[in-house]
Amino acid sequence: MSSGRLAGLGATLDFHHGLLDEARGGRSKVEAHGFSDPLGCSRSIRYSWRGFNMTRETMPAIRLERLAKRYGRVTALSDVTLDVSPGEIFGFLGLNGAGKTTTIRVLLDLVRPTSGRAAVFGADCQANGLDARAHIGYLPGELGFYGDMSGASTLDFLGRLTRGGIDTRRRRDLLDRLELSPSDLQRPIREYSTGMKRKLGIVQAFDSDRPLLILDEPTEGLDPLMQEALYGLLEDTRRRGRTVFMSSHVLPEVERVCDRIGLLRHGDLVLAAAVDDVRRLAARRVHIVFRETVPVPDGAWPEGCEAADVTPAAWHIRVRGPLGPLIALIATLPVQDVDVHEPHLEEVLRHFYKDEAAE
Amino acid sequence: MTRTTFVLVGHSLRRIRGVLLGLGLLLAGFQFLLTQVAGYLLRRSAFGQLSALVPDFVRSVAGPSTLAFLSFGGIVGFGYFHPIVIAALIGLSIAIATEPVAEVEIRLVDLTLARPITRDEVITRTVLVVIVAAGAMLGLMAAGTSLGLACCTATDVKQPSPRLVASLAANLAAVMLCWSGVTLAIAVAVRRRAVGVAVSGVTALAAYLLDYLGRAWEPARSISALSPFHYFEPTALILGQPLSGRNMSVLLGIAVAGSAISYFVFARRDI
Repeated sequence: MSSGRLAGLGATLDFHHGLLDEARGGRSKVEAHGFSDPLGCSRSIRYSWRGFNMTRETMPAIRLERLAKRYGRVTALSDVTLDVSPGEIFGFLGLNGAGKTTTIRVLLDLVRPTSGRAAVFGADCQANGLDARAHIGYLPGELGFYGDMSGASTLDFLGRLTRGGIDTRRRRDLLDRLELSPSDLQRPIREYSTGMKRKLGIVQAFDSDRPLLILDEPTEGLDPLMQEALYGLLEDTRRRGRTVFMSSHVLPEVERVCDRIGLLRHGDLVLAAAVDDVRRLAARRVHIVFRETVPVPDGAWPEGCEAADVTPAAWHIRVRGPLGPLIALIATLPVQDVDVHEPHLEEVLRHFYKDEAAE
Repeated sequence: MTRTTFVLVGHSLRRIRGVLLGLGLLLAGFQFLLTQVAGYLLRRSAFGQLSALVPDFVRSVAGPSTLAFLSFGGIVGFGYFHPIVIAALIGLSIAIATEPVAEVEIRLVDLTLARPITRDEVITRTVLVVIVAAGAMLGLMAAGTSLGLACCTATDVKQPSPRLVASLAANLAAVMLCWSGVTLAIAVAVRRRAVGVAVSGVTALAAYLLDYLGRAWEPARSISALSPFHYFEPTALILGQPLSGRNMSVLLGIAVAGSAISYFVFARRDI
């Protein structure tokens, strides 16, 4: 179980996302090889993937325990503790240099932690890295290919290095969805645009159908249509019970595709919670229009309500928490219209980013 | 070694097959031509005239190796210790041995090592590719020599024995492997291929010059033992001495030590 602290919105809240998981238990889905948990009721589901047997209760897809990484005097990660459950899409957020890529590279054993431990489906990423990486499909933030090799031969090469091989039908489907034609694949990669290289990277990450996908800035360099195609792939991945751990700067994207998020700040995990729960931390904006003028409450607003712009004809109120008390207040008033604006993730996280930038 | 090691080896060999083939055929052609040059000089009875042109002081400094070189066997064997040939083969060794750092630099290693592959396999791949490349180069050179001797040389000429040609080739292959080991040890500790190539190349040049100095200048002879080229003595082979086990052990020992260091460093570094 990990914890985080959210501050900067006039409130300080501690998160223990294990508890939030419990609250959300009924929403998650796990389906794999005939084992399904459509209601998410069972807390101990065994499922298998190409010979790997996993127990959902005991084996998080990713577990970070007090993970720390220092480069000389620079602290890239500081005691990061986090669990990512199988079947969820987890967004890993933070400004540049916050430690997102370092965390991902520790999971892939490309970077060795100074202290702490990282595990993928129970396999320690350092001591048992081969088994850990056998579960992972990876899309790096910066893609490196040999420019003189064609896309097809690059995919074949990477496919041959993958344990269990590649499902060629799945690869063809991916290539179709990402609009990479056979003639594109025959060209040397040095002739590819940034977006085409990204698409090739996505194909090599998804084509082996690993139970865990680690995606570093997956939509970077993709045009809007291809971004949509990627969101579709992520949706399929979720339906198939696979786990996705993705870093991103694009908050609307995270809000759209992720179940939970973690926020890194200067190497510290300051927040790990469900997207819906984070969104609720921001105030909803409620606009009430009256048929006739009403008296303005003189400071006696219900708990959680804050007047933003109040006139006898219309009120703009910010509400944190339930709307019930406000509705009770206006129940006897001549209300013409009520408009409730749900907050966006961006509105909450912008505060974190501003705080970090200020620091 | 696992299946994936051989996938990596096959991939690397496919990528450099053009270079290997081109350089191998060039060197084989050079060896073939040297046999023709030696035959031409022999038919003209030019070896006696050439050795008469060598000044006495050069004979005294260079010793009998000068006269050994000015013989049919010497000219034929010259291709196995010609500085340009040595430079080409060491350049090839350096190019191959810096492949791991090149993959780190372009970040291809992020894609390969994100799969269930150990870092040791990346180094083993490079060691195997160097061995295959050295075998192919020296094999083609020896084939060029053998073809030249077999098809276009008078039968009454005392030809260099196949054993001598094999010894010359083995000695040069050991030098290649030695510099591969040195380069691997240097290259796995840096982040850019250019740095690895530059440091290895300058080190090779310095070592070659140190050995040259030691052979030509008595006071430098003791420190020239620090140079791996000190243990590369093709002229002794041409003079009829057997391939020195000690020299081969030193050269191959450096190759093994360099490879061992590269396994150790590459397994522990952040990528």
